[in-house]
Amino acid sequence: MSIYKSAVEKPITTLMIFIAVVVMGVYSLINIPVDLYPEMDPPFITVMTSYSGANASDIETNVTKILEDALNSVDMLKEITSTSSDNLSVVSLEFEWDTNLDEATNDIRDVIDRIMDNLPDGVDRPTIFKFDTSMFPILFYAITADESYPGLEKIIEEKIINPLNRVDGVGSVSMIGTPKRMVYVDVDPKRLDAYNLTLEQIGSVIESENRNLPLGNVKMGKLDYQIRVQGEFSESDRLNNLVVADYLGKQVYLRDVATVRDTLKDVTLEEKINGQTGLRLFAMKQSGANTVKVARDIQKRMEELKPTLPPDIKIDVIIDSSKFIKGSINNLSSSLLYAMVFVVLVVLFFLGRWRATFIIVLTIPISLIVAFLYLFLTGNSMNVISLTSLSIAIGMVVDDAIVVLENITRHVERGSSPREAAIYATNEVWLSVIVTTLVVVAVFFPLTLVSGMTGVLFNQLGWIVTITVVTSTLAAISLTPMLASRLLRLRKQVKPRKFGYENTIEKLLNRLDSFYEKTLRYVLKHKTLVIAVTFAIFVGSIFMMKNVETDFMPESDQGRLTSMIELQTGLRVEETTKVTRKLEKIIAENYPEIEIISSSSGSDDEGSFISMFSSTGSNIINLTMRLTDLENRQRSVWDIADDFRERVSQLPEVVSMTTSTGSTALGGSNSVDYEIYGFDFDVTNRYAEKIFEKIKNIDGAENVTISRKNDKPELQIVFDRNKLAEHGLSTAQVSTFVRNRINGLVPSLFKEEGEEYDIKIRLEEKYRNSMNDILDLTIVTPAGVKIKLSELGRIDEYWSPPSIQRKRRERIVTISAAPDGVSLGTLATRIKSETATIEVPSQIMIAIGGAYEEQMDSFIDLATLLALSLILVYLVMASQFESLRMPFIIMFSIPFAFTGVILALVITGTSLSVVAALGAVLLVGIVVKNGIVLVDFINLMRDRGIELYDAIALSGKSRLRPVLMTAATTVLGMLPLAMSTGEGAEIWRPMGITVIGGLIVSTLVTMIIVPVMYASLASRDERKKKDKVRKQFLFMDK
Amino acid sequence: MKAVFIVFNQANTERVEYMLDRLEIRGFTWWENVMGRGSVDGEPRMGTHTWPEINSAVMTMIEDDKVAILLEKIKKLDQVNHEVGVRAFVWDILQTV
Repeated sequence: MSIYKSAVEKPITTLMIFIAVVVMGVYSLINIPVDLYPEMDPPFITVMTSYSGANASDIETNVTKILEDALNSVDMLKEITSTSSDNLSVVSLEFEWDTNLDEATNDIRDVIDRIMDNLPDGVDRPTIFKFDTSMFPILFYAITADESYPGLEKIIEEKIINPLNRVDGVGSVSMIGTPKRMVYVDVDPKRLDAYNLTLEQIGSVIESENRNLPLGNVKMGKLDYQIRVQGEFSESDRLNNLVVADYLGKQVYLRDVATVRDTLKDVTLEEKINGQTGLRLFAMKQSGANTVKVARDIQKRMEELKPTLPPDIKIDVIIDSSKFIKGSINNLSSSLLYAMVFVVLVVLFFLGRWRATFIIVLTIPISLIVAFLYLFLTGNSMNVISLTSLSIAIGMVVDDAIVVLENITRHVERGSSPREAAIYATNEVWLSVIVTTLVVVAVFFPLTLVSGMTGVLFNQLGWIVTITVVTSTLAAISLTPMLASRLLRLRKQVKPRKFGYENTIEKLLNRLDSFYEKTLRYVLKHKTLVIAVTFAIFVGSIFMMKNVETDFMPESDQGRLTSMIELQTGLRVEETTKVTRKLEKIIAENYPEIEIISSSSGSDDEGSFISMFSSTGSNIINLTMRLTDLENRQRSVWDIADDFRERVSQLPEVVSMTTSTGSTALGGSNSVDYEIYGFDFDVTNRYAEKIFEKIKNIDGAENVTISRKNDKPELQIVFDRNKLAEHGLSTAQVSTFVRNRINGLVPSLFKEEGEEYDIKIRLEEKYRNSMNDILDLTIVTPAGVKIKLSELGRIDEYWSPPSIQRKRRERIVTISAAPDGVSLGTLATRIKSETATIEVPSQIMIAIGGAYEEQMDSFIDLATLLALSLILVYLVMASQFESLRMPFIIMFSIPFAFTGVILALVITGTSLSVVAALGAVLLVGIVVKNGIVLVDFINLMRDRGIELYDAIALSGKSRLRPVLMTAATTVLGMLPLAMSTGEGAEIWRPMGITVIGGLIVSTLVTMIIVPVMYASLASRDERKKKDKVRKQFLFMDK
Repeated sequence: MKAVFIVFNQANTERVEYMLDRLEIRGFTWWENVMGRGSVDGEPRMGTHTWPEINSAVMTMIEDDKVAILLEKIKKLDQVNHEVGVRAFVWDILQTV
C-alpha cells in the first residue's frame, strides 16, 4: 500500500500524525533557546606561564620558546602565537575548527608535563586556559553613586551580586572599578630617622598589636573558662595611638611618625559613567543557557533589587547583548511572516481557488515546524542562521504540494471523485516530485559537510533546508492528497462574474501563456542569434564582476561603540584621566545619540578578568558607549565612529586609537593584518614604521595600529656589589627595603564586620616621587648603621620593550588596518600594491593575514561547495533523465544565475560577503528546479510523439505558470529579507539580494535558453535515434 | 451467459465497483494496473512517466438479460468524461464447469 493511498483512506490517522508533528514542533519552539548565532566553540587554547622577575626577552628565550617548540607537535594545531611580557608568557594555540578541545587540552597537558624540567626553576606551572563563548558578558551595568560611593563595593556585593547569582542560568556576576577600602600608614622618613626607627619596625609593631589570641582554659569552681586576648583594632583610629617605640624615656606614638588614613585605595583604574564616579557590573551566562531569557530574568531581578539600595545609587544598562538578539530575531520572524503572506498571495494569484490555496499553504507551517523539532532535538538554538534558512525554505516547501494539487484538480475537473483523483493523480506525479526534491537536497546537503568557521554557520542552514524540503515532500504526497480528497469539489459551471478571477487574472495569465508560446516559436527559428546574445550577456556580467567588492562578514549596527585610546607610554593615571574628561566632554557636546559613556582609565593592578578582553595600562583609556535605538537616530554607528575618530586624532595627547562598532560578532576582528616576521628588533621596527606610515595614508584604511608597543621607560637601581658586601647587605635585602618604602608593606589586615582591609605602610608620597628621593632612602645595615641608598649604587633610566609577540615561532610585528567605506578585499589589494615599492630587508618575511585570510579561506570553502553541489545536481539529474546530455541543457541556466547575482550586487552596491556568496551557491538548486520542470515536460511531449518545435512551444506554454509560480514564491519569500532594515538586517540582507537578483535573471533566461539549447542539442540526436531503431529491427524492411 | 470485459481508467475504479454492486453482479475477475491504448483516439495508459495513467480491467460472466443494462450504465459512465475512458466488450460463453 502506497503512502498516499493509505493517507487518503485513513484521513483521521493522517491528520493525527501531522497534528502530533505540529504539537511536538510547537513544544520545541517554546523550549529552544534564542541566540544570535549557532553555538560555536572557538578552537583557542591559551597556555599562561608566569616567571616572576623576568623581563620580556628573558621570558621569550627561557619560557615561550621552549613551550612553543614543544606544543608545536600537538595534533590538529593550526597556528601558534605568543606574547612574552614582563613576568608572563602567554602562548595561544589556534586549532582547526572541528577539533575536540578536550583531547587537545589533554595533549597540551602531556606536553607540559614532559618539558616542565626544561623550564627554569622558579617558573610557575603553566595554566591551560580554554576559551568559551559563554565567558563573554551578556549584560553590562553601569552603577553610579554619590554619598554611598565609598561603601559601594559591599552594598553591591550583598544586595545585587549575591541575589543575581541565584538567577537561573547565570554563570557569574562580577564588577570592575570597585572602590576598595584601605588603611594607609604614610610614614615621614625624616621623623623616622629622628626617632631612630625603621619602617619595618613599625610594621612589626602593627603586626604584633593587631592580634586576637586564645590563651587556653581556666577552671574556676564548677566552670571552665576560655581565656583570650582581643588585641585586634576595633577601629582604624586605634592605629594612631599605637606606641611604636620608647625614645629617651618618652613614648613615641604612631601619629608622631606617620599619618593614618582610612580611605579608598589609590587610583590605578578610574571608572566613570557619564562622568560620574561609579563601577561596572557584568553578568555572564552558563554555557548553553538562553541568552535572551537569562538577560530578561536578570533585568527583572535587578528591577526588584533596585528599591533596596540607597537612593543615590543609580543602575543603568550599558550593554545588553540580548537586545540585539531579540531585535534580530523579531525582525527575522516578521520577515518570515511577511514571506508567508506573500507566498499565500502568489499561490492564490495563480490558482484562483481558496480551498486549493489553503491546502497548499498548510504545508508551510508543517514543514517549518519540523525544523524547530530538529533544532530542539539536536540542542541547537533559534538564531539568525536558522531563521534565515527558514526564509529560504519557505518559498520551496509549497512547490511539491502545488504539483500534486494541480494534478488532482485536473482529475477532479475531468469528473473523477475527489477521493479517487487524490489517489491516482498522486500516483502519477509522486516520483517526479521526489526527484525534484532530491535536486534541492543535492545542493543543500553538502552544506552540512563544510568544515571550519563557515561550516558552523552553514551546517545548520544545510540541515534545516534539507529537513524542511523533505518534510514538505512527505506532506505533499500524504497530507495534500488527503486534504484534497476531503476539501476539493467539482466546480459547477457558473457564469463567471465580470470582475471575478476568470475574467481578470486568468485572462491575463492566458494571454501571458500564448505570448510566451509565440516568443518560443520565434526564438527557436533564431537559435544561433539567441545563443550568441545570451552568451554576450554572461560575458558582459563577468566584466562587471570587478565592480563587485568582496567582504568577509557584513557588519551590523548594534548601537554600541567601544574605543581604546592609547596615550604616551608610561603616562601616569592621573594624567590619563585628565584626557578622559576631555574626551567625555567632546562626546557629550557632539554626539547626542550617545546615551551612556562608560570610561575606564588605567589598569587594575591586580590584573582583573576584564583585562583579558581589552588591553589596559596606566596610559590607556577604554570607552564603551551605548547609542539610542536604531529608529531614534539619524546617524549610523559607523558615521559616529568616523566622526569620533576624526575628532580624537586631533588631540595631541593621543598616540593611537582603535574604535570599533561592536559588530565583529564572529571570529574576531574585521581587519587586514600586515605581518612582518623577523628576529632583529631594529630592522623590523624600522620596516614596520615605514609600512605603518604607508598604510596610514591609504584611502579606506582606518584604525591602523602597530602591534609592537613603544619601549617603555624603566628605572633600574644598579648596586655596587663591593659596597653592598662592605655593609654586609645583599641585593635581595636592599631590594626588599626599597620595595617596602615605595610599593609598601602590608603587615596586617584591619577587620570590620567580617571584611578584611589591607593596612599598608609606606613612605608618604612626597618622599618617594623623584630620583633623588629614592637615592635618599635610608637603609639600616645589619650592624645598625644607617646609610643612604645613594651610597650603595646609582639609578639608571632604561627603555625596554613591554612585550614581544611571536607567531609561527618567529618574532612578529603586525600592522592591522580596518576597512573604511571599502571592502576588506579592496583594502588588502591596496595595501599590497602600496607596499610593493618598499624594499624588504633580507632578514624579514612578510604575509597578509587577519580577517582577510579567513575570508579567502571561506571563499575557497564556498567554491568547493559550489563544485560539489554542481556535481551532485548533475548526478541526480542524469539519473532522473537517464541521459548524460539533458543535465547540461538544464545547467546552462546556472551561469545566468550568477549574472543576476552580479547585477543585483552592483545595483544595490552590496559587497560579496560570505553570506552573499552562500546565497549564490543556493541559487544552483533553485534555478535548476525550473529547468527540470521545463525539460521534463518537453521530454514527455516528445515521447508522446509530438514534433520537436511544437513540443517545446507547447511545453513552454503549459509549464510557464508552474515555473513562474516557483520563482515568484521564492523571490517574494526572500523579499522581506532583502528589504529589512532593522537590527541585524545587515547580516542577512546580502543573501536576500543575491537570491532575488539571481533568480529573476536566471528564470527569465532559463525560459529562453533552455528550450533553445534543447532544440539544438536534441534534434540531431532524435533523428539518429529513429535510424538506430530501424536498423535494429531489420526484419520489417527486408 | 455472456462475458463482459470492462477496461477503464483507474480513476473510475469506485464507480465500476459501485456499478457492479448495484446491478447485483457478484462474480468477476479483476486485473489491476493493465496497460493499453485506444484504437481511435484513446490515450495510451502505460503507467510510465510519459503516459502516467493506467487502467484496470474486470471480466464478469452474466446472464444475457443483464448485459443490456450493464452496457447502458457503462455508456453513461463514459459520457461523464470521455477523456477518462471506459470500454466494454461482450462475447459468448460456450461452456462452463
